[in-house]
Amino acid sequence: MSSSPTANSSGPVPAGAGIGLRSAHHEALVRERPAVGWIEVHTENYFHDGGPHLAALEEAREIYPLSLHGVGMGLGSSDPLDRTHLAHVARAIARFEPTLVSEHACWGSHAGEHFNDLLPLPYTEEAVAHLAARVIQVQDVLGRQILIENLSCYLAFSSSRLTEWEFLAALVERSGCGLLLDVNNAYVNSVNVGLDARAFIDGLPSGAVQEIHLAGHTRRRVGERTLLLDDHGSRVPEAVWQLYDHAIRRFGAVPTLIEWDTNLPELSVLAEEAAQAGNRMEGVRGLAA
Amino acid sequence: MASLPEIQARLAAALRGAPCAAAADVLDDGIEAAARLAVYRNNARAMFDGALERTYPVLRRRVGEDYFRQLARGYRVRFPSRSGDLHWVGEHFARYLAETEASTGYAWLAELAALEWACECAFIAAHESPMEPRELLGLAPDDLARARLRLQSSLHCVASSWPVLEVWRANQPDADGHAVDLSNGGQCVLVSCGPDGLELAEVSRAGLEFTRLLQSDAPLGAAVEESGLDLAELPGVLGRLFAGGLVTGIAVATAGSNAA
Repeated sequence: MSSSPTANSSGPVPAGAGIGLRSAHHEALVRERPAVGWIEVHTENYFHDGGPHLAALEEAREIYPLSLHGVGMGLGSSDPLDRTHLAHVARAIARFEPTLVSEHACWGSHAGEHFNDLLPLPYTEEAVAHLAARVIQVQDVLGRQILIENLSCYLAFSSSRLTEWEFLAALVERSGCGLLLDVNNAYVNSVNVGLDARAFIDGLPSGAVQEIHLAGHTRRRVGERTLLLDDHGSRVPEAVWQLYDHAIRRFGAVPTLIEWDTNLPELSVLAEEAAQAGNRMEGVRGLAA
Repeated sequence: MASLPEIQARLAAALRGAPCAAAADVLDDGIEAAARLAVYRNNARAMFDGALERTYPVLRRRVGEDYFRQLARGYRVRFPSRSGDLHWVGEHFARYLAETEASTGYAWLAELAALEWACECAFIAAHESPMEPRELLGLAPDDLARARLRLQSSLHCVASSWPVLEVWRANQPDADGHAVDLSNGGQCVLVSCGPDGLELAEVSRAGLEFTRLLQSDAPLGAAVEESGLDLAELPGVLGRLFAGGLVTGIAVATAGSNAA
């Protein structure tokens, strides 16, 4: 079962299932108070000085523990770290006091132009050194550990010399960051770039994984092949649930989030998906007992 | 082996429309590099266009999806995103439209865009507790002329040669989108955002100029004089500011000094 909304929203994100909160669900969340353990928002949507969205999140924050998930820092960019962006993240953290803060193992800008997408890094020694240095910079400014999420990829680089899990393990070791394991991304990558998703999960440093993401994806035919698009626009597919089961058997009951960004359904659908994640975590707890 | 900056430079070129630039960096496993890079190129374009659509819903509805996409393509080349925060994507759209649409039948779009950008900025501004008008009414006449009003930071003044407020109202989600006669003349609009959401109010040109002067910290007396506001109109303009919760403070300078 999913845990009920907690009266102590300032506590840690519980080892239960939460949902990604989008502005279209602000009112319904506060009105319906679904039985989900926590909420997560995209940090950049709350960068500003005020307005109805900030007020709505402050209200939601009184009910649920909160995680801030950044999508715009592009930590692996060769461009200089955007200190203004980082200052906005710091301000959002001070305002909302999230229990988890996360970003992505990606880059996003070149020569000052932002592509506003999560672009993949080659898995090289140079890239992991660059990303680790950036993560350290960010953690120093924020005064806290951040979690770094594995990406969904539509290509692999010919220059990569490390596996994705070796890359992330090295990042954890050098920067002291934690990991946000996106199970859907691992599954998507198994189809798109031939990642061995179970080996990927098995290869991550177990103590580092502090959050899991689950989401849906869509299929696109490319000639005789298929690419999976990580569009967060549908229920979690069975294959991703199975991979999730594998992940929580390895990592235990880690706070798990249902992400849904396109074709947004009623809030109750997200709560149903969160309940399923909660049930699977209970199953793992039962096995461990 | 290519360095990280080199790889990112080539991928960036591919995202800008030159897929061959990064083809050699992409592992060949049966799906062409161009097809893989196209996913990212489409994503980047969709993120940009989506942000622009969310900021300019009225303009998009008015010109239609195809023309809006065409405008977005040209705008992105001229003003690519410069921030990881998508809010800023639309910052220069009015300027771009002023440059590109001036000689077309869509010259008015730039001013509609300016109104929608004002709405976007108002929507994310801080809201302070409003002040009651009795504090102003209690001032002696000389102090009243020297008083400076502090206004909500969400307040934006928009002057247009076209009836952009009529267009805006006709193209809200629950409105019928009826055609507005563009020969109806210009409109001056105060845009703000309070606890109940966006507020757009039409004011006279002198009323708008008066409000702008107050925003720039001019004393009330000087603002009336410089704006050419008819004294008979002053109670109505001030009343609107107070009723809208747009006044957050008053400072009165002592004679011969600056405002406290």
